[in-house]
Amino acid sequence: MSPRSSFDKALAELQQDILRMASLVEQAIYDAVQSLVKLDVAGAAQVIMGDEMIDELYLEIEDKCVKLIATQQPIARDLRVAITGIKILLSLERMADHAVDIARATMCLSGQPLTVKCLEYIPQMGRLAQQMVKDGLDAYVNGDVQKAKEMCALDDEVDYIFAKVFRELINGMMENPKTVMQSAYLLYVSRYLERIADHATNIGEAVIYLVTGERRELN
Amino acid sequence: MKLNFLRGISWRPVVSYFFLMAIFFALLQLYAAKKLSVLGALFIILPLSVLLAWLLYQRVIGPLNEIIAAARDMARGNLDRELHIYTQDEIGELARSINDMARQLRNTIDMITEERNRARAILDSMADGVIALDREGRVLLINPVVEEIFDLRQETCLGKKILGVIRNYDVERLLRKALETQKPTSEEVKIFGAGPDPRIFRLHATPLKGSGRETGGVVVVLRDITERKKLEQMRTEFVANVSHELRTPLTSIKGFLETLLDGAMNDPKTSRQFLEIMSQETERLTRLVDELLDLSKIEERRVVHRWQPVNLVDIINRVASLFRPQAKEKALTLSLEVPRDLPSVYGDPDMLAQVLINLLDNAIKYTPPWGSVTIRAMVLEDQLRVEVEDTGLGIPAESLPRVFERFYRVDKARSRELGGFGIGLAIVKHIIRAHGGKIEVESTPGKGSLFYFTLPLAEPASR
Repeated sequence: MSPRSSFDKALAELQQDILRMASLVEQAIYDAVQSLVKLDVAGAAQVIMGDEMIDELYLEIEDKCVKLIATQQPIARDLRVAITGIKILLSLERMADHAVDIARATMCLSGQPLTVKCLEYIPQMGRLAQQMVKDGLDAYVNGDVQKAKEMCALDDEVDYIFAKVFRELINGMMENPKTVMQSAYLLYVSRYLERIADHATNIGEAVIYLVTGERRELN
Repeated sequence: MKLNFLRGISWRPVVSYFFLMAIFFALLQLYAAKKLSVLGALFIILPLSVLLAWLLYQRVIGPLNEIIAAARDMARGNLDRELHIYTQDEIGELARSINDMARQLRNTIDMITEERNRARAILDSMADGVIALDREGRVLLINPVVEEIFDLRQETCLGKKILGVIRNYDVERLLRKALETQKPTSEEVKIFGAGPDPRIFRLHATPLKGSGRETGGVVVVLRDITERKKLEQMRTEFVANVSHELRTPLTSIKGFLETLLDGAMNDPKTSRQFLEIMSQETERLTRLVDELLDLSKIEERRVVHRWQPVNLVDIINRVASLFRPQAKEKALTLSLEVPRDLPSVYGDPDMLAQVLINLLDNAIKYTPPWGSVTIRAMVLEDQLRVEVEDTGLGIPAESLPRVFERFYRVDKARSRELGGFGIGLAIVKHIIRAHGGKIEVESTPGKGSLFYFTLPLAEPASR
């Protein structure tokens, strides 16, 4: 086997690894939001434990990436593939951490019924964030710049809902001080979801950089 | 036996060879005898060779050219072309063989196409999703069910690795395991499809046995078991609910009985009070068991329906008058907006009355004093629509899809306080469904709820 083809194979393998990790992260985001809505402590605990696996996978793939750069010294597009690989991995890892943060918030919220009104926005944000991660990875797989841009446009929607949630929660806290603790946690959760969406736009930017070599700020 | 090879030589070339030799010798003899000059020989030879060339062209080169053109055409896939050379010589033989070959090929290809179409039709009509992968884990084919579940197109997936098509860690792990171990594996997996919520699938991965380089691979069958899982969960909840509902009155009865036996019996005032509570609880138990039996009868369609044309105006009036005292007690306005000339529907009057009783009972129960409850009936195309609207507590949006489930209660504590089991609306749903109708609910929390059902008219043609 020529060194070239073994390098190409390694790059393809890298993409597979990233997708593997992405699937776990997508699942973690969904599970975290669902366990929050249902106040399901067992589900939240599973998300927290599942993060270990994601972290391990992250380190393993990052090592592969570094070795690839060190031994093959890629240039031009190949270098971009390796570098965007690391970028996307990092974004995914941060998302998984935010999913864990949400699960932790669920743990703290459990034991009492949620009385705060704007709970319906959280799954809505969760769905959007998850959709962005999915679209971002789809764009990565297909090298689809258009899809990456469309995905990044969804971030505005997430930001809009976040602003709305923020306003309503603050109003709720002022009206009824008993809900301050719940509201504060939900505020955190919506912030985490907003951050997840931001990381998704990073993936979109990475895809555009990978395909065109241009750097774009889409956030 | 030894002359076998001679059979392969046909007579034509031999004859023409001798014919040419004879002409050559004849000319040679004539020339030797000075009967023929070189010029004369040329005069004879030239037309003769022209004749020969013409013959050669006619009999050999022309047909050969035709055969070459046909063979090229066939190589391009046009097997319908037929050669029209019917001579008895070798060329004719060749043309016939080529025609035979083309026909044979056409038959084989037709057979293979038909077989492939059949396999494709089976795959397409399967209710389960099917994905075939080659030995490298690349997608070879997916069937329409998979296209639908994951919102994919077959063309865009072919040749991609499974993670690029269905991004799911567990699916990929299962497939890798099947490919590596060459053993069939099966697992339940939660996968995100086209919708926002994941669906649960039972995956069967079967490795394809093969020795060649091109063979091998794995076929995955995905069976959607989301509904079954949901049903299983509902059944578990149902059993838990029934046991809970049965145990609460029983515990209370048992407790009072024990207190009575322990000596409270001797105090006539206390024992009377206890017995009254026990009687109430027994009453509650009986009612629960009755409702459960009703529900199971309707669900299993064991009830003998007395089907007849029913005029709902009478039923609505009768049921409304049943509830007037209760409504008056809570100072509720109970109003009817029912046209007199309502066409009749086909159904069981008692069961339809039951529907109205249950809906009205709920409306009055959950509407605070000074509110109002309205019953409306109207005709929409070939359907009769009946509405029961209240200005009650309303139902939160997340509970709306579940209110028709058995034992589902929006607020357990309050409902139990009011003496409900959460079965009433389940009975309503089953009765309306048995009548070929539909029931829906709209509600705004704090403002009120609107339950409405439609029933097909008895004689739609007469209108």
